[in-house]
Amino acid sequence: MFCPQCGASNTDNAAVCVQCGRNLQPAATPLPATGQIIPPGATVENYLVFAILATVLCCLPSGIAAIVYAAQVNGKLQAGDFAGAQEASRNAKMWCWISFGLGLATVGVTILLGILGVISGLHHG
Amino acid sequence: MARASSILRQRKHLLAAAALAGTVGLLLLRNFDPAKSVIFPPCPLHFLTGWYCPGCGSLRAMHQLLEGNLRAAWALNPLTMVLLPFIGYGLTSQALLVLRGKGLPGVFLSANSIRVLCAIIVLFGILRNLPVHPFNLLAPGAMLHL
Repeated sequence: MFCPQCGASNTDNAAVCVQCGRNLQPAATPLPATGQIIPPGATVENYLVFAILATVLCCLPSGIAAIVYAAQVNGKLQAGDFAGAQEASRNAKMWCWISFGLGLATVGVTILLGILGVISGLHHG
Repeated sequence: MARASSILRQRKHLLAAAALAGTVGLLLLRNFDPAKSVIFPPCPLHFLTGWYCPGCGSLRAMHQLLEGNLRAAWALNPLTMVLLPFIGYGLTSQALLVLRGKGLPGVFLSANSIRVLCAIIVLFGILRNLPVHPFNLLAPGAMLHL
């Protein structure tokens, strides 16, 4: 079958499009394995871009956690586990925000240390 | 319905804030070199431990890129330069998703390819700290002294 969103060719029983990740299950079809109902045209955001940015810019292990959950989102989509993918998506988003907060906090602390260093430098010399 | 529209409004505010922060950041990077200026925060990991993280040198690399010095940008952080087009595409897609409800056509990465990407980032962070040739060339700016 062809993906209605991007036109890529997919196997007939594919749960999601290999090209764009769009849900290919017909409307309101319960999946045999899990019995979940997938809304037509639904995709699950994996926040991969933000996870990579968090890892490279904030330089924190929490960014890695976000990437791991991003991988999990796509893995569960590939396996047809829609609810699992949504759960992983929430975790990916949460770790992106945690990274961002930690990044801001460390930058704040570093600036504070720098200011304190300047002040103590003024005092001592 | 009311909840969905309030989430959308919230996302638009978030996008506006991110776009503003990004523009200010790029303007600062265009006008000040992080290697010489104190207005950019140092990498916390490098500041505390002296080790390079996978992102160390990326701000200086962006500055060199905005100046048109591709070679210096590459030497400061090759990983950032490789990832930059994909990050730019991804961010554009996210912005369009908020603005018009539809992102750019994306490639669906398999779970394993995302894990490989993650491993590459971690490995790059480790290798650039090794004081052994040729890995020491991955340290920020090392390739400029070839």
